[in-house]
Amino acid sequence: MFFNVNDVQQFQQQKDFIDTALVPLLSLDFKEAKIKQSSSAAEFLMSLTAFIEQQFKGRLMLVPPFSYTEQTRNGVSVELLKKEMEDAGFKHVFFITCDHYWTSFQEQLDVIWLPSIPLESMDTGVKQSILQNQLNQVIPTFTSKWFQV
Amino acid sequence: MSNNRVSRRQFLNYTLTGVGGFMAAGMLLPMVRFAIDPVLQTKAEGDFVQTSQKVADLTEEPVRVDFSYEQVDAWYKSEVTDTAWVYKQGDQVIALSPVCKHLGCTVNWAGDSAHPDQFFCACHGGRYEKTGKNIPGTPPTGPLDEYEVAEQDGLVMLGKKIANTLV
Ligand code: FES
Repeated sequence: MFFNVNDVQQFQQQKDFIDTALVPLLSLDFKEAKIKQSSSAAEFLMSLTAFIEQQFKGRLMLVPPFSYTEQTRNGVSVELLKKEMEDAGFKHVFFITCDHYWTSFQEQLDVIWLPSIPLESMDTGVKQSILQNQLNQVIPTFTSKWFQV
Repeated sequence: MSNNRVSRRQFLNYTLTGVGGFMAAGMLLPMVRFAIDPVLQTKAEGDFVQTSQKVADLTEEPVRVDFSYEQVDAWYKSEVTDTAWVYKQGDQVIALSPVCKHLGCTVNWAGDSAHPDQFFCACHGGRYEKTGKNIPGTPPTGPLDEYEVAEQDGLVMLGKKIANTLV
């Protein structure tokens, strides 16, 4: 599910089934030397999360990314966020990011960290197989959590 | 005789109406054509999309076939990638949509090791037979959709999604 009116209405009716939230944490860097790399990582994270959404449409809601810069990162309170989403009815809240910083939260939270892959220069077929590959890597993270309960 | 003669005034009237009519038609026709054009055009979804899957390589075991096409949504063009599960049944090529009929996850062939000859939806454990028929007792309430299939130059071509014809 996406965070749009249609899907959200479905979520409200099917909370038993749509019980997982996926929150992208997106780092933006506007410095001349980093901006291109930053946009590439953003593209990768957005493509991959959309791909994950397609795979798990009926169980997971992909929310819009929480974006921040190095200076504003401290303003993103992931624990609070998780709490609010759990109160809304999500049993599982996963964070997904290409920013290594969040791995230090892996103790308390479900953080999926992946290094970004520059997709921009690839043609559709290659892109597709790379994303499929990455998807296969993250599937167990979800399913193990789902079947643990 | 002289009564029937077209006077100068009448002649001008006729010709001007004629020319005016032409001009009006010249302006209106493109507008009409523009308005009904989408109706006249064959829809993209009715077209077949070529995949890279060779018909000769297909077996009775469903394989995943990805295919891309351009989708035009008003002025916005985007490249869409879709997937089908394709296999042979006798001489017939079958292509099933992977979209779970419960809440829309993507199903996988043999995704559950306990049921190696079924489609499995990891979201809520939905299962389908190879024909796409949903297994009673699992969440899905209907069979998987089918794609229209054609063959060109030995490659599988996929058309629009239709309701399952096998069950
Ligand atoms: S979406 Fe497939 S079983 Fe629920």
